[in-house]
Amino acid sequence: MIKLKHAVYVLLGTALLYTGCSSKSEEAVQPNIANETITQASLKFTNQANSADTTSCTYTFLLDNNNNVIGTDSTKLILKANSKYNCVVYMLDQTQKPVFVVSNEIKQRENYHLFFYQPTPITTAPVISNTTPYIPGTPVTPNAAPLNLTIARTDLDTNNPPMQVGLTSVFTTGAASSGNLRWVLRHQPNAKNGTYAPGSSDLDVNFITVIQ
Amino acid sequence: MKTRLLLFILFFPVLVYSHGKKFGSYTIHGNVADRTTRLPLEGVTLSVVGGTGVALTDKAGVFSIRLQAGRMWLRCEYIGYRPLDTIVTVNSDLHIDFLLSPSPQALSQVNIQSTAEPHKEVSTLDVVVLQGSALEQTRGLSLGDALKSVTGVTTFQTGPSIAKPVIHGLTGSRVLILNNGVALEAQQWGQEHAPEIDPFIANQIQVIKGADGIRYGADAIAGVISVSPKSLPTDTGVMDGEVNAVGMTNSRLGAFSAMFEGNLGKKLAGLSYRVQGTFKRSGDVSTPNYLLGNTGLLESDFSAAIQYYHKNYGIEGYYSNFYTKIGIEFGTDVGSYSDILMRISEANPPTTYPFSYFIDRPYQTVDHSTAKLKGFYHISDSSKLEVQYAYQVNTRNEFEELSLSASLAPAIYLQIHTSTLDLNYEHKDGGGFSGSFGATGMNQGNVRLYGYLIPNFVDYDGGAYAIEKYRHDKWLFEAGARYDYRWLRAFAFDANAAKIDVTTTHYSGTSATLGTTYNFTDNLKLTGNYSAAFRPPSINELYIDGVHASLAEFEIGDANLKTEQANDFNVQLNYASHWINVDLEGYYNHINNFIFEEPTGQFYHSQGGELLEFQYTQGNVNFRGIDLGITVKLVDSLDIISKTSLIYAWNETIHNYQIYTPPMRLQNGLTYHFGSFGPFKNFLIGADDIFVAKQNDVPSGYDFAPPPNAYNLIDAHIGFKLNINKTYADIDIAANNLTNVAYRDYLDRFRYFADEPGRNIIFRLRVPFQILSNHNNNN
Repeated sequence: MIKLKHAVYVLLGTALLYTGCSSKSEEAVQPNIANETITQASLKFTNQANSADTTSCTYTFLLDNNNNVIGTDSTKLILKANSKYNCVVYMLDQTQKPVFVVSNEIKQRENYHLFFYQPTPITTAPVISNTTPYIPGTPVTPNAAPLNLTIARTDLDTNNPPMQVGLTSVFTTGAASSGNLRWVLRHQPNAKNGTYAPGSSDLDVNFITVIQ
Repeated sequence: MKTRLLLFILFFPVLVYSHGKKFGSYTIHGNVADRTTRLPLEGVTLSVVGGTGVALTDKAGVFSIRLQAGRMWLRCEYIGYRPLDTIVTVNSDLHIDFLLSPSPQALSQVNIQSTAEPHKEVSTLDVVVLQGSALEQTRGLSLGDALKSVTGVTTFQTGPSIAKPVIHGLTGSRVLILNNGVALEAQQWGQEHAPEIDPFIANQIQVIKGADGIRYGADAIAGVISVSPKSLPTDTGVMDGEVNAVGMTNSRLGAFSAMFEGNLGKKLAGLSYRVQGTFKRSGDVSTPNYLLGNTGLLESDFSAAIQYYHKNYGIEGYYSNFYTKIGIEFGTDVGSYSDILMRISEANPPTTYPFSYFIDRPYQTVDHSTAKLKGFYHISDSSKLEVQYAYQVNTRNEFEELSLSASLAPAIYLQIHTSTLDLNYEHKDGGGFSGSFGATGMNQGNVRLYGYLIPNFVDYDGGAYAIEKYRHDKWLFEAGARYDYRWLRAFAFDANAAKIDVTTTHYSGTSATLGTTYNFTDNLKLTGNYSAAFRPPSINELYIDGVHASLAEFEIGDANLKTEQANDFNVQLNYASHWINVDLEGYYNHINNFIFEEPTGQFYHSQGGELLEFQYTQGNVNFRGIDLGITVKLVDSLDIISKTSLIYAWNETIHNYQIYTPPMRLQNGLTYHFGSFGPFKNFLIGADDIFVAKQNDVPSGYDFAPPPNAYNLIDAHIGFKLNINKTYADIDIAANNLTNVAYRDYLDRFRYFADEPGRNIIFRLRVPFQILSNHNNNN
């Protein structure tokens, strides 16, 4: 009857293998909280020379009930020439009640988020390093009047070594000019290295910009 | 040889009688059945030992083979049964009936003679069977990858772990997949949804190339893939087992599959069972130059079968569960058009990862359960009634990278429930007529949660068919017709009005087939077939409205789509002699109202940037192609195999090529059989060269990047049987992409992001063993 014993072992082994492998607890579904959405993103500026001189620009996404975007709305960014502004990011998710401040969440997840600020048009390619907030590959238009704006991020995350985030930054304007400001939030889990390439975009918007 | 002689003497219930004709060559025909149950056996190989000519039995267990006059050593073999040899003197047309006995050790004995592709004569459609050593060499691969060795079949991939089979240029819901006789009802419409089938359950995979709407209804407009386990043992009191283990160096995959089966003796004679389980785990896949992060895979499958066969009736229960968790490559979850362009412009992924088995977000999990109950009744020797009921539940969860909120919920949850009822009556008379007719019914519904991709729906299907074959002299004629009706009610969420839109649609269509085979000589036959089939639009084509994750696409469905109508013509020429075997097939499949995605030229502005908008639309498309398989055997120990697949697809409506058409594929290989020495039996060494051309025929404006360049891969393998403790073990060591070529494939959606896998060395071990034998209570 030794053979029957073998059969029982095979049976037990198969059963154990199966129960051992089909542990599905890892995917236990949590309560249904809607995935995060950014519905409004603003940049708030304070003139370094005069703290009473503030301005802002806001980009709004209009969503339907499936969270598909059905329209967008953006305000113009108007800055004074030859000035320095402190800039702070403010982002909201208005689909949640109470309204959820996404920028606070980004602060907590700063180690894998990175903001980029790209003025256009530009006449020469910006020097790309790990600290400049420029988007590589931005087209250069040598004959166009450039938007005289440079941006520097001023905050650091807790990576080792620390890398910039861009929730706060300094905007330095030159002579009067006009153009666009492209503003991108890169989402780079396990991959942030200070450059644009890794990960994907959480936010990618444009503001018409006037320096006067 | 001694045992074979013994078997020959012991089991010689072979009836030989002659009709008396006097020609140079004669037709041998007859039936093959199970010795105990007297049930016909389908797919049994009949071959001439030391000569040429191979035939397979059809569904009714009938075979027909043309032989030259003289003394012939005929062998009748089938996996799971003892092979039966008989020597016949052919001097007239013969009728021979074979009764096969199930064999506990049969798995180690059968060695299917490799022809280019064993074709079944059951139908005038082109049916290719993958079994025996050809199937063993694909163990550990997914179903899609396993079928790549069949001409005209390729895969549509989403990274290294998700592969959908493509037949003659068509995939998805246009290819029907049968799991042990049950049409797989999963979310086949999704491009990144691979078929939920464990290839370890199969001992035979049949591929019907071409539209076959008659037997299987709507959807089979490109072809049918049927995955069948071997039949359960019917010898009383036996118990067998089989263990398969596969290890791969690339992705460090380990797969283990165990099966045992048996038949209860004495009072419960006729009752047999099988239990089978598979566990598969793999980590990150490597390309020649870098590792693909998060490409691990976990799979665990289980199946159980029980059947009771009596003389005239039988009942069979089957349950299978398939569970998989598949990591989606990091960096492929792009949010915008500019992101995908950036990925394409990079030579390598920007971030490298260390090897890991851990499957991180994004990943998907799929659980598919099938329960089946089947009964049959032999009304008479020549007619049979079958009833089958099956219930399937398919649950799919797609988890994306964690968003900013604390939600751990999947981005998409879809569950689909399907019940099917099939009724089939088969008959065969002495005069050459055989055929079947039947009716089918299906009910399907789904549940969705979280992200909106497709609406909830309820679907009722019904169909009726008849197919008849007539065999006369050198001719085989086949004709069939079918009618199908579909009632579909969708509960689409109207996002603007915030209400549920209930829409009910009806689809109906007829399918037909007409075909004939003419045997010019013993070696040469020509087959022509015309099939008409249709496919109603799938739920996503009608109602999808959302972002296609991982491709910067925003897809919009069209609720007014009509059914696709396929008119498929194909011609096959088969020539087989003692040293060469040629299978040539040409086809022309014209599909009216072919559903495809067309870029609208507009962008959808999401928060993460811009996405290209695609709208489902219809047009007339034709597919033309040639499949050629040649086997040359100049000496007994050397096989040279050459396979060519050519396809050309044109969209008549947009006056342009059809996107995602497989490019030309050539596979040339040779296998050298060394025979046996010492404990090694059937020692062989083989090598294959696979060339895939660049697809130049692509429509502009439909794709993000131009097609990748042509590539050439070399695969090699060594196989032998080893005698361990009176049990034979099959061992196979293979190297895929031996030269570690870095390449990208046109039909892989992740070609925008990364290369295909590099060199992979695969170790395969298969040990069939006997637990209980029936020698003590043998009659």
